[in-house]
Amino acid sequence: MTEMFSTLYGQNDAQGPARSSSLGFGPGNPPPPLPPNQVPMAAQMPPQLGDEGPALRKPGAMNEPFYLLRELPVGNELTGNTNLITHYNLEHAYNKFCGKKVKEKLSNFLPELPGMIDWPGTQDGSSLRSLIEKPPVCGNSFSPLTGASLTGFRLHTGPLPEQYRLMHIQPPKKKSKHKHKHNRPQDPIPQETPSDSDPKKKKKKRDDDPDRKKKKKDKKKKKNRHSPDHPGLAGSQPNSLR
Amino acid sequence: MAEKFDNLEEHLEKFVENIRQMGIIVSDFQPSSQTGLNQKLNYMITGLQDIEKCRQQLHEINVPLEAFEYIDQGRNPQLYTKECLERALAKNEQVKGKIDTMTKFKSLLISELGKVFPEEMTKYKAIHGDDPPLIVTLDL
Repeated sequence: MTEMFSTLYGQNDAQGPARSSSLGFGPGNPPPPLPPNQVPMAAQMPPQLGDEGPALRKPGAMNEPFYLLRELPVGNELTGNTNLITHYNLEHAYNKFCGKKVKEKLSNFLPELPGMIDWPGTQDGSSLRSLIEKPPVCGNSFSPLTGASLTGFRLHTGPLPEQYRLMHIQPPKKKSKHKHKHNRPQDPIPQETPSDSDPKKKKKKRDDDPDRKKKKKDKKKKKNRHSPDHPGLAGSQPNSLR
Repeated sequence: MAEKFDNLEEHLEKFVENIRQMGIIVSDFQPSSQTGLNQKLNYMITGLQDIEKCRQQLHEINVPLEAFEYIDQGRNPQLYTKECLERALAKNEQVKGKIDTMTKFKSLLISELGKVFPEEMTKYKAIHGDDPPLIVTLDL
């Protein structure tokens, strides 16, 4: 490294004061000396051609004693060297969210909210994104319904049609240790119909059926083994009393 | 600040509970339930009025859109907070590593340049102040 720089500087030893401004990496030609009536570049630099760095830095670059020597930037107190979580007092929040396991489902965040909230909102058009993209008409005041308006809410007696019953099905809630203070009226339990899609119940039935089939098969095999008509019985059995 | 959220939360819970009870009434409607249903409908409207009043207190609250995406996917929005904190810490550590590396490089460069160009480095230190080379030790 020393030899490389010495080849650049060794030839310029004979030159005059212009050498002092030549810390370049080129072929070693120093810039021409400034005419005496010209002010050094640093003072002459207009503001718009100033340094593109932060506003705290002084504009321009000096050419004495080193070419394009810049002012050092003003140090910022807050840098990535500091633990920003400690700086902004977020340790408690960090331990709360990152120290413990946060549950995945939305129903764990909002356990009291009824309905199937763990499903994506795009399926039933209840997404918040759609609310932002197509905001509802606002500005009208909410006025109570009069007697005439309420006539539109006269319903037929009887249960709901099957296609609307699923709206009341809630996911099975885990038994919580804390007792709920508010005793809410229980939701209506839908009658079991073939159209009801309850995957857990169906799974249980499916599990039971192959298990039952296997048990039946095993019983049949045992019966067949012990019957005298079974062909493999004589060979497999140890020597009997003969 | 927390009071505004508590107030809104209370109104929302009452509103949701009212809607749920309306659903129960409607699921197996009887003629005698009509009066109760009408009452619930008007409670729903007053609930909306109460929520509308809460809106004025919370107009300066900003919620990041990314949190909405978590809710739309049926995921816990606290996971968004968790991931933000983890990303911030990872970036903090990354930047700290860069700063430490650059500081170490600066100190090594100054010391080596001082050996090779002692006169020039003396001039440099005279301009930029006596900036002694920093020796950064990594606590491994």
